[in-house]
Amino acid sequence: MREKETTLYLGPQHPGITGNMMVKLKVTGDTIVRAETHVGYLHRGFEKLMEVRNWMQVFPIVCRICVPEPDPNEENLARAIEILEGREVPERAQYIRVMVLELARLASYLLWFGGQSGSAGLYTMPQWSVGDRDYILDLFEELTGGRVYHMYIWAGGVRRDLPEGFADKVLRVMDYLEKRLKHYDNLMLDNSIFQKRAQGVGVIDREKALDWGIVGPPLRGCGFKHDVRIDDPYLVYDKLQFEVPTETGCDVWARALVRRREFEQSISIIRQIMEKMPGGEFYNKVPNPLHWKVPAGDVYVKTESARGEFGYYVVSDGSDKPRRVHVRGPAYVHGITLLEHLLQGANLADVSFIMNSLGTCPPEMER
Amino acid sequence: MEINDKDTLTIVEHIKNFARRHSLFVLAYGTGCGAIEIPPTMTSRYDAERFGIVGRATPRQADVLLITGYLSVKTLKRVIRTYEQMQDPKYVIGFGSCTINGGMYWDSYNTIKVLDQYMPVDVYINGCMPRPESVISGFIKLQQLIKAGKADGWKKYQENLDWYRANQKKVIKNWNMPDYNW
Amino acid sequence: MSDRIQDLQKSLSEGLPQCSVEIRRHGGVELISSKENLVGVLAYLREHFGYRHLSHISCVDWLEQNQFELVYILWNYESRIQLFVKVRLARVNGSGISVRHLWPQADTYEREIAEMYGLPFDGNENPRELILEDWDNKPPMRRDFDTRAYSKEAFYDRPGREDAKDVRSVISGRSGEEIPEIAIPYTRK
Repeated sequence: MREKETTLYLGPQHPGITGNMMVKLKVTGDTIVRAETHVGYLHRGFEKLMEVRNWMQVFPIVCRICVPEPDPNEENLARAIEILEGREVPERAQYIRVMVLELARLASYLLWFGGQSGSAGLYTMPQWSVGDRDYILDLFEELTGGRVYHMYIWAGGVRRDLPEGFADKVLRVMDYLEKRLKHYDNLMLDNSIFQKRAQGVGVIDREKALDWGIVGPPLRGCGFKHDVRIDDPYLVYDKLQFEVPTETGCDVWARALVRRREFEQSISIIRQIMEKMPGGEFYNKVPNPLHWKVPAGDVYVKTESARGEFGYYVVSDGSDKPRRVHVRGPAYVHGITLLEHLLQGANLADVSFIMNSLGTCPPEMER
Repeated sequence: MEINDKDTLTIVEHIKNFARRHSLFVLAYGTGCGAIEIPPTMTSRYDAERFGIVGRATPRQADVLLITGYLSVKTLKRVIRTYEQMQDPKYVIGFGSCTINGGMYWDSYNTIKVLDQYMPVDVYINGCMPRPESVISGFIKLQQLIKAGKADGWKKYQENLDWYRANQKKVIKNWNMPDYNW
Repeated sequence: MSDRIQDLQKSLSEGLPQCSVEIRRHGGVELISSKENLVGVLAYLREHFGYRHLSHISCVDWLEQNQFELVYILWNYESRIQLFVKVRLARVNGSGISVRHLWPQADTYEREIAEMYGLPFDGNENPRELILEDWDNKPPMRRDFDTRAYSKEAFYDRPGREDAKDVRSVISGRSGEEIPEIAIPYTRK
């Protein structure tokens, strides 16, 4: 008997979706025949707004592009301007930036821990990991004044120096998080329910992973050791010791393990930074922001965010406003091309599970 | 038996409002970037559940529509439809500066600026982004309004439906939604 | 690093004599192609130079020269050198050429550019709108589209908040609350 094909709309209002987007599914029974991602619910026209703001006013805009992890955006834009201008960044500022980026990565992974296990029906994990994420947000609040959006990394350095006693607080939070990882393992990765849900689900073809522009944990989950921090080092990453974990499973389980092991690496990076942090200036002052002109040129900068390569293509025509800022979020490929591909033949219950494992984040697809 | 006694009706209304304000079921619809502060509000640290604020999956079960941030025109259409599917009484909380006057998206071509032109808003929470404490304080303000019987945005929406529809249709060009008959 | 870039530049200019190849001031190599050669050039780069990773397709509107510039940003996993392939297209009635048979993710990028700039791609007959819905104005990312004027016309302003004036005293007068110390407007002493 031939089963009837039904159309299902998953989202935009759906508790299992990772943000405001929609996946249109054609299903027979509970097997997905065809999936189609619809984005654009969060389109704010940022790239247009950047063209009508001056260079300094762009910084509050870019951080709103990625909500769980805003700092790679600021870092990208700041680095693009620094490259175009040839502006030096003091070494202390570079170390502080790496610290902020790694803290943001940890915060993003903690949110992911919650989302991934929440979509498998393990509701204790979000209670823990999102609660623990608040310790990192508290650090951000003390450092920058904002919990979610920091606007901390500026062209030429960072906005403020570290407050007194901040290093101790960071190290204390790192110790705490490392201790908590054991509990996370017990609850999530050693849990047979999670293992059975994750293993063999959402398998990416290894060759396609390279050809399709897949980045970040999904690529490393296929056994390729590619990370912007190693491939194209920026800031002081070449002076730090860390590993890039890879797994060969290509499935949700492999991506979960990659993230879990990167979590440890980030903690170790932050500890090294706190040890090596040099003194000195933290900001190479830009001229009057109202008359600040950036020399003409174009540059593509990229940062390794928690979900992979975050790229900015910045064009300046020598005026006080950017000519073009084009954002390449990792979810661009993961959320549309890859997700549509992976959902073919998948089970209906795995949609939100696969979506979480790819780190689909709508605001960076549509800005 | 029909009760027309004024005092009895007041007591009944009082009891109803008591029940309503202590079980605010929030629709899980993250319409904008403010959705990132909802997990901390709902989970162990801030624990909004102690005020009776619980997330709900579908509009039919929910009492509160939390507009977490800017609404693009495409989302506005879905939000209106979601709002009309919700059962009375229903309340709307505008979350973040961008729902109040556009915030930093004041000159964007795709986001609406003033939310209460398109749907009735009971409480606004300002800030970009509002902290979980202010989210909870906004909910408590809503509870106070319900207690005083002043949170009647849903009644206003029914009474002034034509005005709201005209505003909505000015922005949403292709209006192909069902009309709900209350 | 600079030796490898020079080697790459030399072999690229030998392999692709129809393009001009330059070493970029800000790192990487830049290749300027014509529209007819573009697909051949990209396929050649992909097959013979290992440029498997298409990071992005970007579009810049050069209104003054009446041209669109498409920028294909490629990355080689082995040699780790960024490559930019640029092509200039006519702004009026121009069209790009689709490369989605080489990289499936290019489909999304092309749909976005087609929607945001009104620049169609030959070979990408994907009519679905990606981001906007029922948009009937000029494509919004074109330089001559004025977002401020459009927004003023299309959406309501809150009365009294059309500009960036300080309204703290008005608000506090309305609600009868005192302005907390942290929110008092700053005055130069």
